[in-house]
Amino acid sequence: MSFSRRSLLSNAGALAALSAIGWNPKMARAAAGERKFIFFFAGGGWDTTTVFDPHHGSERVDMDPETLTESLGNLSFTIGEDRPEVDRFFTRWGGHSAIVNGMDAKSVGHASATQFSLTGTSASSYPDWPTLLASRAAGDYPLPHLVFSGPNLAGTQGGAVVRAGGGTLLDLIDGSIVGTSDVPAPQLSTPSDSIVDAYVYEQTAKFLASRGAGSERADALLTNLERGMEIEGRRFEAGLSDLGSSILEQSIKAAEMMRLGLSRCAMIGIPGGWDCHGDVSVNAGQFDNFFDALDQLMDHLSTTPGLAAPWLIDEVVVVALSEFGRTPLVNGSGGKDHWPYNSALVVGSGVRGNRMIGRTDDGLIGQTIDFSTGEASDSGDIIGPENLGAALMQLGGIDPTSHLPGVQVLDALLR
Amino acid sequence: MSTTALLALLAGCGTGSDPDAEMTLLSSREQLIRLSVDLRGVHPSETELQYIEANPDLYVDYVDRYMADSRFTPRMREIFNQRFLTRTDSTYGRMVDGASGSEVARAIGDEPLQLVSYIIDNDLPYSEIVLADYTIANPLLAEIWDLDREETEAGGWSIAYYTDSRPMAGILTMNSTWSRYPSMDGNANRHRANAVSNMLLCDDYLSRPIVLDRAAVDQLTVDPESAISENASCQSCHSTLDPLSAHFFGFFSYDDDDDFTGVYRPELEEGWRDYANKAPGFYGVPTANIPEMAELLAEDTRFADCAVQTVWEGLTQRTLVDEDWSEFQSHREAFVDSDQSVRTLVRNIVLSESYRATGSSDPELNERLASLKMVSPTQFSTIIEDITGYTWSFSGVDGLTSNGSGLPVLLGGIDGDTVTNRSYDPSVGAVFIQERLAQSAGYYVATHDLAASRGEDAILLLYVTSEDTPDSNPEAFDAQVRHLYLTATGIPLAEDATEPANLMVVWDQVYSIEGSVTAAWSSVISAVLRDPRVLTY
Repeated sequence: MSFSRRSLLSNAGALAALSAIGWNPKMARAAAGERKFIFFFAGGGWDTTTVFDPHHGSERVDMDPETLTESLGNLSFTIGEDRPEVDRFFTRWGGHSAIVNGMDAKSVGHASATQFSLTGTSASSYPDWPTLLASRAAGDYPLPHLVFSGPNLAGTQGGAVVRAGGGTLLDLIDGSIVGTSDVPAPQLSTPSDSIVDAYVYEQTAKFLASRGAGSERADALLTNLERGMEIEGRRFEAGLSDLGSSILEQSIKAAEMMRLGLSRCAMIGIPGGWDCHGDVSVNAGQFDNFFDALDQLMDHLSTTPGLAAPWLIDEVVVVALSEFGRTPLVNGSGGKDHWPYNSALVVGSGVRGNRMIGRTDDGLIGQTIDFSTGEASDSGDIIGPENLGAALMQLGGIDPTSHLPGVQVLDALLR
Repeated sequence: MSTTALLALLAGCGTGSDPDAEMTLLSSREQLIRLSVDLRGVHPSETELQYIEANPDLYVDYVDRYMADSRFTPRMREIFNQRFLTRTDSTYGRMVDGASGSEVARAIGDEPLQLVSYIIDNDLPYSEIVLADYTIANPLLAEIWDLDREETEAGGWSIAYYTDSRPMAGILTMNSTWSRYPSMDGNANRHRANAVSNMLLCDDYLSRPIVLDRAAVDQLTVDPESAISENASCQSCHSTLDPLSAHFFGFFSYDDDDDFTGVYRPELEEGWRDYANKAPGFYGVPTANIPEMAELLAEDTRFADCAVQTVWEGLTQRTLVDEDWSEFQSHREAFVDSDQSVRTLVRNIVLSESYRATGSSDPELNERLASLKMVSPTQFSTIIEDITGYTWSFSGVDGLTSNGSGLPVLLGGIDGDTVTNRSYDPSVGAVFIQERLAQSAGYYVATHDLAASRGEDAILLLYVTSEDTPDSNPEAFDAQVRHLYLTATGIPLAEDATEPANLMVVWDQVYSIEGSVTAAWSSVISAVLRDPRVLTY
């Protein structure tokens, strides 16, 4: 709950008077320096060898013969003529990037592996990483976790999640939806709208006060009313006329929402049919498109002023995930099937860049590593999604033990 | 330790609740509102609320009365859809002349749910969901699946039969079920088997925390099918999943768009031999066909458990946990003892103290109770329509009940496909939906009620005319605002309530800006419809 926002809004009489002259609440601000997170998710299960985990020379892993292993600093990745953006991205942003390999997905079923990869558990009550980071943010965000596309596992924290899909959210925010129904209504002017908002706010606050114990949902209602009022007032500033349809447009919009302190997290699905049972070669083009967008997003982050840091790149963490990897060998159809060892890419603020963390053996099986160094170690453990999640929580200022007690943090990822 | 003491200790295990805990119950009015919204999707009338306030014992009578209401089974369909997830926005490639895509999608999605309705309407055992040798269809669905449907005067949903000689076993042999849960080559009906387990046993194979050991991984690399058949880690699921999957090869036929053809093909029934080569069976018991498997399924104790869990979770907005065991058992007993009567189950749940409670002296139970419940998108639609006569439709389709608009998900609902769990926490999307629907409904009521040429009765503005202002007729404004609150929330304002005076200020301010009585009243009505007690109960 926001003390600053609510304390300012609590004087309903003053608010009504201010509203009448067109004032909208916009005093909420993200906690200074608090990191924001843009998540990308390749639904279907990506082939990790196509970029992140090259195994040229291994007889137990089928690699695209037209590709090579490229080494750049400490990073190794697969390059090829059909994926030039991969090389370009790591050449430009490798110093900010950590590749995590050999991560045990725990499952090879799409739904359960998605659950594991995004929550670290199989329990449906656990929110996914972006929802968790948004719901436990120190700052106030009117749209805490904005889901452009891709999965959302809200668990018990649904109040922090806003799904942007279909443009309906924008029609709701700007009010134009009232004019498009079968029995349309005219839109009220902003001052009139604000007057009604102020009254509703006072009534909702009274309702919350009357609830006493067990009032979490009433509190969520008031909190989200505050968020709604703020986002209504800032919709022009945020350019909320179009949330974009391509991965690049959505990425840039997500960054803008963070620049304005409107959102802490975003989820964007990476387009493509990643579940390549019939033809693994399709992953190359999909990765190429993704890295092209990622490159431009990084450009945007590095040239856009942050809220507290000089540039957004100093405040934003970019995480790319999929639910699992693909088998080492090509099947009879030219595709690859589900495989429990997976990779992830983490880029940006607080990330120890230019790092390969974890590894797989020559059969693409995850190896035990030392979590503090990311190097192979017989006495270490295999990385799981929960370890990566714990590191993300740490990056987000959340004590990982408060959510996943006993889980090791993948310290090697952290600067 | 004595045997008695040990039994007493064991009896206390798993309940997780203080046996002496006291419940704080909702007021009589609030209890009836909760009951009515849950069982009918609308608020009670003021007359009903006054009756129960005068005599709280009437609660039991209202339980029976509301379960006899025609809006009861639609609510049960909504609750069972949270388990079956058959309502999506997909037509599965089906088109029918004269029917919109959303009508086709709804007809297909409702086939299993209409069987639930039929079972409840006729108070049949819930096991009929897998034992029925018929399906339920309306004329549109009959055309989609080429069904032989018993004609009814009303032209609604009635008993129907597939005409391709398939074995019939209720939901297990419906085209709609297997369109929703397809299975492609390589998956070999495992997706369908898991759907059966999920829908009817509340056991999702995909949620099992299977850790593949090194041997399994090595074997999977070399020969996946052998690993599935032989490795212990794989077998922990596949030993029961694959025999269940083997039943559904008659439905293993697809068109060029990978949609299930809708035609049962007996010649494919033995297709399991070409895949896992596991013969049909139900958890170790060999079975000859789907109806035989359905018999075993209906007798499985988990089948009754799952029905109880589905209804209980749907009505309480809680997720069943071990600590709820004691309460759950009481509902299960009532269900089983009544020959799996869903009506008896519902009755038992809504009569329980925990259902009618707003809190408990036991902190752990208090944490689990849903002291404030969120309306579903469908409930919100029917509540607003009941209060104002307004339906928020777009191109003839209710925006809050059709997934195509995206509104249900923004309000915390499900789309049956990508969003499969309801969110009971109000989000900013829910707040915006309440605001915009309230504005639309408020305008609808104001234009209707203030129209000089109006022939029929006013909907809500009973005490004022377009000539009245707060200054000229404050008594009428006061009465009007009180009436609005009573109708919208079911809770009367206190004698000294500030709402009437504050809303007169709102009226004045909006009127001064917009210069329109209609706009001023629209705003007042929308402000009342945005009360938290309209969105929650």
